[in-house]
This record gives sequence, structure tokens and C-alpha cells, in this order.
Amino acid sequence: MRIIDVHTHPVFGNPADRVHLQRWVDHGRRHDIVHMIVLGDVLLYGATPNAEQLRKINNDTATAARMFPDYFTAFCYLNPLLGERATMAEAERCAAKPGFRGIKLEIANNASHSAMRHVAKAARTFHLPILQHSWSTVNIRDRQHQSDPEDTALFARRFPDVQIIMAHLTGIGFRGVLEAKDCPNLFVDTSGGFPEEGLIEFAVEHLGADRVLYGSDLPIRENSVTIGRILGANISAADRRKLLFTNTARLLKLNLN
Amino acid sequence: MLIDTNVNLGPWPFTPVPDRTGPELAAHLATNGIRRALVSHFGAVFLPEPMPANRKLFAAVRRSPALIPVPVINPALRNWREQLAECRDSAPLRAVKILPNYHRYQLGAAHLEPFMAALADAKLKLILNVRLEDERHKYFALRIKGVPVPELARFLRRFPRHHVLFAGIYKGEVEKLAPNFTNFSAEISFCETTNCLELMLPKFPARRLMLGTCTPLLSTRGEADKLRGARIPARAKALIGAANARRFFKL
Repeated sequence: MRIIDVHTHPVFGNPADRVHLQRWVDHGRRHDIVHMIVLGDVLLYGATPNAEQLRKINNDTATAARMFPDYFTAFCYLNPLLGERATMAEAERCAAKPGFRGIKLEIANNASHSAMRHVAKAARTFHLPILQHSWSTVNIRDRQHQSDPEDTALFARRFPDVQIIMAHLTGIGFRGVLEAKDCPNLFVDTSGGFPEEGLIEFAVEHLGADRVLYGSDLPIRENSVTIGRILGANISAADRRKLLFTNTARLLKLNLN
Repeated sequence: MLIDTNVNLGPWPFTPVPDRTGPELAAHLATNGIRRALVSHFGAVFLPEPMPANRKLFAAVRRSPALIPVPVINPALRNWREQLAECRDSAPLRAVKILPNYHRYQLGAAHLEPFMAALADAKLKLILNVRLEDERHKYFALRIKGVPVPELARFLRRFPRHHVLFAGIYKGEVEKLAPNFTNFSAEISFCETTNCLELMLPKFPARRLMLGTCTPLLSTRGEADKLRGARIPARAKALIGAANARRFFKL
């Protein structure tokens, strides 16, 4: 089965060179992953990178997409706290480069922060979906930086014309799926944590198979596990294909032959 | 053929996992390539005394030879000898399991001395459960952390002649203990990173790793595929998948 991985960090504490990237391409192909979405080395400079640091991270991401255009699609990493001008400038710079198809947000701020309007504007202007790191804050707290699924869902409700991927199904849990349920512009990726039983089925039941995307969070998690949990889930073969390939291809308008 | 060293029966109160009968569990494991499994009962985690859950376990696996019962003993309770005796009378035993963090005792506790001696006399192996869940996703009121590495180290130092299987241990925890101790093996359900086993083997021998899926809390298929998909020598895969468990538990 052909697979697209919507949540990867192949440039993660390593240089964006051909040898290193080729290793990830080979790794992915061994797992039937025909395409990866590169989200950047998002914690390289801590939670709140400045404009120059963002450029450096996004340049590394661009290198991956340029060297392996058939294998890597890039997302532009932004720090909303830098304000409208910096956000729009970096989004525009990335959108002009080949291979960029989305925006990545990590833990600079909570997704309910007012600065998120700048990111929404960039997404709208350059026709880019946003992938927002999300995790239940019930146990990990730090809601200033972490976005609870409630916060990401609020962001999606505030900007219904922007397509948003709430990252980390395992991190947002059953409650997170229910938070996303009434937001048709909100998708969920399956990355994050150990492969807890029943979550895939719950997400498909409540969101529909069209709004659940396969993601691994490579190199933090094991692809055989993250794929195996979907292959082993009690869902139809047609839905499995949607999760593993079709949904991301459609959302990012990827033309993969 | 795979042997799974970390499986449970019974409902888990905080998440909707399948509550299977013994035959249903055996069939589920078989569809994932697992032909034998060491099984405990979740009821023993929370009950004030684990025997009602152990009795359910013995009853559930009676007609499923693929399922090997591993009762939970709480050695912090005054009746631990009775618990152990009843379990030994109920079925041929290979091992027992302890849950120090859920049963609120330290691994330096005095009562562990006679308990470990009793296990040695009975030729029973010990599975020490380090954790059952990712601490970040626990039910909000359940403030139980994994057994800390210094506690595990203290235990290994205290009982150097016992070889124990740590279940639910993280890769990083295995690697912290590995340089100083040879008297433990590790079950791999909570060891995960990209190319996990490939990265672990240079630091920890394959003959001390065992497949575990933490079914039903984790995806059986996903956890079994961790081993199946690993780029490690076939011999190492065979050891981790079944041979180590067969040798350790004399299956």
C-alpha cells in the first residue's frame, strides 16, 4: 500500500545534506512511504526562534525539498509571536520556493493566542494549510506554549476558511477528537506517543475517514509501529487507504504517480 | 511464531479497550502472528488485594493453552505468601508479576527479601512492571509515575542472583541500566524511536530483549510490527520474538 507521511522531521539535529536525506528516503521506501512532509527542525533554537533562526530552519527544509522533489514536500515553520510583518514575510519567502505546501506551528504560543490571526492571514494569502502541534495539557500543563486540542479547535473555529491539521492524535486523545468533531476545516494526524488502542477507530467514527491523516513524527517514533496501528485498526480497507494516502494527497494537492 | 510477554485481560477503567475472553484474546493475538502470550489481569492493578483478579485470570485462560497465566502478587500485603500459594495451586506457573508503583511500595522494602527468596525456592521468574501507560496520557486523577531508574538499579543491586524481566520500560531507561547490570531483561513495548531495535542492539544484547505488545492498551499489530519491521539480524529477531521468552520462562 502506498503511504504519505504528513508529519516528519528528517532534518532533526542533523545537517540537510544529500547523504543524510537519502538515508531517510531509503528508510521511508522500506516502509512503503512514497512521500514525506518535512516540518523542519522545529526545536533547534528552542520554543521561540527569531526571524533569522526561522529562515535557517526553513532553508534546511527547502534543501530537502529541492534535493528530493519527488519525495519531500516542505512546510514553512513560523513563530506567530514575531508579528504580522515577519510572519507574512517568511511565509511569502517560503511560498515562492518550490515544494512548500503548508505552514508548521510548534510551541511558540498557544493556538488561541491573538497573534494566530497573522498566521491565518498568511495561510489564506498563500493558500497553505497549517499543521499545529497539539497535545492534551491535562497532565503536561504549560498551556502558554502547548496547545490543548480545545485551543487548536478554537483556532479552527475562528478561521473557518483556513485548513488546519491538529497534530498528534495520541497526544490529543479521545477528548481531542471530540473537540475537532464540529470543525470541518480541522484534520487530525495520527502521530504522537505510543500506539494506544482504539484511537484510530474512534477518530474515524467521529471525524469520518476523510479527516484523519497518517503521520509518524519521524525520527521520534517508529514507522513500522505507526503504520502497523493503522493496518491493525478495525476500519475498512477503503478508509485505511484514505488515512494512509488519499487524504494528504488531496489536502496538499500532491500529484503522485 | 511470536511469544508476547506483556498482555492483559480485563477492562481498563480509563480507556475503552476490548474486554476479551481468553479464547477471544488468543484469537486476536494469533491474527497478529502471536502464538503464545504471558497474560495478567488488569483487575489486579487496582484491587486492594489481587487474588480476585488472579482467579478471573486462571478461569479465563483455562481453555486457552496459548495463554500462560502470570498472576500479580502484592508483596506489600501481609498475606503475600497466601497469594503465592493459591496461585501455585491454581495452575502451573512460570512467573509472577509485581507492580510496585501501583501497589505503593519501594524496591528497597524489607518484605521483598523473603518474597524473592520464595520465588527462587519455587523456581518462578519475576516480571517487574515499570509502567502500563504513557505518563502524559493517564487519567487526570491517577498520579502514578513509572518506577524510577534508581529504584530499578537498587533492586538489581540488591538481588544480583535473580534475573528479572522489566515490562513497560523505556529505551532510555534500559540504556541507563545496561552498563552496570546484567541481571535483567527488557520487554520492548515501551521502547520506541525510529529504528529502535537497530539502535538498541549495540548497547544491549538481543538475548536480553523480549517481544511485548502491552495488549490491549497498545495496538497489537503496531507493536508486533516493531519487531517484524526491524532491520536487525534474523537471529536477533528470533531471539527477541520467541527464543528468549521460551528459554527464560521454560516454555
